Amino acid sequence: MAVTVKFFASFREAMGKKQESIEGVNNVASLLDELVRKFGEKLAEQFYYSGTRELRKTMNILVNGGGLNLPHDLDKPLKDGDVVAIFPPVSGG
Amino acid sequence: MAVAGLGGLGSPASIYLAAAGIGHLTLIDAQRVEPSNLNRQVLHSESDVGQSKLKSATKKLTEIHSNIEVDGIYREITSKNVDRLIKGADVVVDGMDNYPTRYLLNRACVRNRVPFIHGAVEGLVGQLMTILPSRGPCLKCAVPKEPPKKPHFPVLGATPGVIGCLQAMETIKLITGVGKPLVGRMLIFNGTDMTFDEIKVNRDPSCPVCGKHGR
Repeated sequence: MAVTVKFFASFREAMGKKQESIEGVNNVASLLDELVRKFGEKLAEQFYYSGTRELRKTMNILVNGGGLNLPHDLDKPLKDGDVVAIFPPVSGG
Repeated sequence: MAVAGLGGLGSPASIYLAAAGIGHLTLIDAQRVEPSNLNRQVLHSESDVGQSKLKSATKKLTEIHSNIEVDGIYREITSKNVDRLIKGADVVVDGMDNYPTRYLLNRACVRNRVPFIHGAVEGLVGQLMTILPSRGPCLKCAVPKEPPKKPHFPVLGATPGVIGCLQAMETIKLITGVGKPLVGRMLIFNGTDMTFDEIKVNRDPSCPVCGKHGR
């Protein structure tokens, strides 16, 4: 069992894939760390402001359909079978 | 039916609502037509530049369907007037270009139990979600924090064309009772790789808008 991460829009373009299965993570922050470790700087640039570990405000994450209040909810626990969606909300009209 | 914003989303949405024979449309917009609008705001033409969007929209929509009744409201949407502006609407279509006003509309629609068809675009990406108060999550459940404001960003004109048409479709489905509305699901359209995806969204019991302490 593992956590399934689904990527949308620019995150999918950076990843080059729709979803990934990640094992051994216990909260959202550790999931993001593991994704960056696995997929490298290109993804880190999508998650964090350049040269920092400050989460970009363009990040929106839902865990099992529940929206997270970031960065406060980075410590939200994850368990096997959880589905995490990462997308950048757009705002134009 | 109310269309809030007559830009890239509100243009195709209102055109298809008018063409479908919607009898009454309330249009809310306080902007004037600018040349940079014309790649996507298909209610307006070169000859409308400098005029209010309400004027060109009313002309265009009544040309499409002469029996349509259009109420134009030339007002910025604020926390003080939003309830009054959407009063009596069966559905409100989100044609806004910013989250603060979208959140105001979302809250007012939840409070007044009016369905709200959310749409937003940037570049070649668009998102869509139908909010049925008391029956599914609201915009704040899906996007709890306001994304940062970007003063200028590109929009390929066809992107709001896609999302605005889908907003009209959701509206027509709701009022006719046809099909399954996009409730509890956010649709993500990405024109870059031409994909449509869904993100599951649940109602947040602690949502400040639609949760038990909201409204």
